[in-house]
Amino acid sequence: MARDRSQSSDYTGPLRRLLLAFLVVVLAAVFLLWRIDSPRVERFRAQVTDSLVPNLDWAMAPVTGAVNLMRDFRSYQRLSEQNRELRSELRRMQTWKEAALQLEQENARLLDLNNVRLDPRLTYVTGVVLADSGSPFRQSVLLNVGARDGLVEGWATMDGIGLVGRISGVGQNTARVILLTDANSRIPAVIQPSGQRAIVAGDNSVAPPIDFLENPDLVRPGDRVISSGDGGVFPTGLLIGQIAADPGGRLRVRLAADFERLEFLRVLRHHGTDTVVTQPSVISDDAISASDAAAPIAAATE
Amino acid sequence: MDELSPVRLWLMRAAFTLLALLILLFHLLPIDTQPLTLFTPELLPPLEAIDPAEARLRALLDLETSRMFVGPDLLIAFAFAWSIRRPEYVPALLLALTFLLADLLLQRPPGLWALLALLACENLKGRSRNLRDATFGAEWIAVALLLTGILLANKIVLSILLIPPPQLRLSLLELGVTILIYPVVVFVTSSVMGVRRAAPGELDALGGRA
Repeated sequence: MARDRSQSSDYTGPLRRLLLAFLVVVLAAVFLLWRIDSPRVERFRAQVTDSLVPNLDWAMAPVTGAVNLMRDFRSYQRLSEQNRELRSELRRMQTWKEAALQLEQENARLLDLNNVRLDPRLTYVTGVVLADSGSPFRQSVLLNVGARDGLVEGWATMDGIGLVGRISGVGQNTARVILLTDANSRIPAVIQPSGQRAIVAGDNSVAPPIDFLENPDLVRPGDRVISSGDGGVFPTGLLIGQIAADPGGRLRVRLAADFERLEFLRVLRHHGTDTVVTQPSVISDDAISASDAAAPIAAATE
Repeated sequence: MDELSPVRLWLMRAAFTLLALLILLFHLLPIDTQPLTLFTPELLPPLEAIDPAEARLRALLDLETSRMFVGPDLLIAFAFAWSIRRPEYVPALLLALTFLLADLLLQRPPGLWALLALLACENLKGRSRNLRDATFGAEWIAVALLLTGILLANKIVLSILLIPPPQLRLSLLELGVTILIYPVVVFVTSSVMGVRRAAPGELDALGGRA
C-alpha cells in the first residue's frame, strides 16, 4: 500500500506542478482580460454576484438581523430618555411642518401666477440592500432590484433624505450602487445659494471632499450641496449634504443621507435631460411665418 | 476516523470550501455600509454651531455603530494555516477557485490577488516539511513575510498597469491585523477543526501525500 502511494507520488509531483502552472496562467489571463476588456469581465462579475448572493439571502438575513439586534441593544438601555427627546423633537417638527405647508401653498400660487412649467416628478423603484462591498477598500451596496425591474446604469439612488450613490453594474435580479463615499465616485454638484458648480469626489472617508470649485470664497460652511445634473445622467436638485471644512482647510461635504445603516434605497427613474437643439429654427422665414399663422389661431382658441 | 482515509480527505476539502464560503458570507453582510471613521478628519465648524436642530436629530438617530477598525483577512490566514499543516486538504485547484470567487465577490481586480495568494500558499506547502520541525515563531515569521510580499507585489503590479491600488494605510492596517490574528487562526485550525501536522511516522506511511 505504502509502495503504491510512493510510486504514485512520482507521477503526481510533476503533474501537480503542471496543474499549478496552468492555474497561474489562467488567473493571470483573467486579470489581463479584465485590464483589457473591463466591461465584459465586470458583466461576468455582476452575473456571478447575481446568481450567488440572492440565493444566500436565507442565510444572511437572520445573521444580519441578529447583529443589528445586538447593536440596538445599547440604544435600548437609554430608551426612556430617547423617547422623551423624540417627543419634544416631534413637537418642534410639527411647527416646522405647518410652516412648510404654508410655504408650499404660497409657492404653488406664485408658480401658477407665473405659468412656470415644472419637471415631471421623478418616479422611483425601492430596493432592499442585500450585501455591502465586503471590504473596507470599496464602498458599495447590492440591491435586490435589477434589469428585471428596468434599472439602467447611472441612475441616482437615494435614501429617504439625500443622495446615496449611483447604479453601476446591473444584473438580472441585482444592481450594485457605488456610494458617494467610494474612491471612484464623482458627482457633479451645485452649491446653494451661491450657485457654484463643483464635483463631489469620494475618497473612502465619511465626508467626501469637493473638487474643481471655481471660487471658494463664495462658499460658506452650512451651504447646501445638491446634484447639478451636468452630463445628463443625473436628475437635478437632489440633496447631497452641507459644506464643512476639515482642519486642513479643505472643503468637504457632510452627507445628508444616513450611511450608518442603509436598508431601503430608492432608485430614481431618469431618462435623460432634453438637450438644447442647436438648429436656429426660430430665425428662419418658415418659422416666422408659421408662428404668425399660429398666433391668431391661438388667440382665437383662448 | 482514520487520518488517511480518502473519505476524511474529501470531507476536509469540503470543510475548507464551506469555511471559505462562510467567511465570504460574513464579509458581505450589509452591516458595514460606512467607510472607516478612523482616518476621517473632524469637520469644522461643528454641526451644532450651524444647525442645532439637525445636530440634535442626528445625535438621536446615531446608533453608535460607526466603523472604527479593519477586520483581518481571515480567508488567506486560514488558507496559510491549512497549507502548512495539511497540504493535501487544500489542493491548488480548490485554492485558486476560492480566491477567484473572493476576488469577484469582494470587488477586487479579478485574478491578481488570487494568483498571488495561490503562489504564496504553494510556497508554504513546499516548505511545510521544514516548518513542521521548526517552532511556531518561525512559521509566524514566514507567514508575515509572505503576506507583506504579496501585498507589495499586488501594489506594484497594479501601479505598473495604471490601476489605482487600494489605499496604502488601509492595506497596512489590514496586514497588521491579519498577522496579529494568525496565532488565533492556527489555534482554531488545529484544536477546533482538527487540522494538525502529520507526525513524522505518519508522514512516512503517507509517502507522497505530505
